[in-house]
Amino acid sequence: MTAPLTRPVDDPTVDELAEPDHPWQVVVWDDPVTLMSYVVWVFRKLFGYTVEKATRLMLQVHHEGRAVVSSGQLEKVELDCHRLHHHGLWATLEKA
Amino acid sequence: MSEPFERDGDFILISLSDAERVAIAGLAEVIEAAGGADGRFEYQAHPEDPAAERQYHELVGDDLAALRAADRRTFLEALGAESLEIEQAEALMRVVGEARIVLAARLGIEEDGWEETASIEDPEVEMLHYLGDLQESLVEALS
Repeated sequence: MTAPLTRPVDDPTVDELAEPDHPWQVVVWDDPVTLMSYVVWVFRKLFGYTVEKATRLMLQVHHEGRAVVSSGQLEKVELDCHRLHHHGLWATLEKA
Repeated sequence: MSEPFERDGDFILISLSDAERVAIAGLAEVIEAAGGADGRFEYQAHPEDPAAERQYHELVGDDLAALRAADRRTFLEALGAESLEIEQAEALMRVVGEARIVLAARLGIEEDGWEETASIEDPEVEMLHYLGDLQESLVEALS
């Protein structure tokens, strides 16, 4: 991704979404051409995240190549994945 | 110079020249012609589980293709307007992003840092940067 909007935050990468009642998770993968600001916007739009959380996840995707952006039951995460695809983000599902 | 897109209440104002609108209008066709764009648009939710992937596609069906086609139609309509509703601007933003993905696939861009090595004299690289500016302006207007 290109053009960071902010510096990385100090909050470590904690997979706070992987909980027993969230058996599936949505992973977003890095893409060299999708704008960082757009990714932040998508995370905020689709998941209602704060700009801080959306930015942290975007930077995790950028620096680590992937980030878990949502989790839950299969039906829920498949819908999340579908909406991310509609917004042009490369997303897949995996078991938590 | 004003931003190409600016928020005005519940609308997004467009400041693009006629030449820009004509140039951008061709992007919808470029995206359609690109098909899967070297696999980039062939989204999979369960890439390592064919059975789960089949079930996923039974669930979503052709919905993604329909949504992307609807975005392109909205995009073409939007280019003739002076202001957009929020949903129209969002569709326009998605199409601009898809066009950048198509151009990146054509240019063989696969890793971060491509901006440092790509030739700015290549018209497709120039278009990639230009569309990035447009999308950035849309993100700002919609945020």
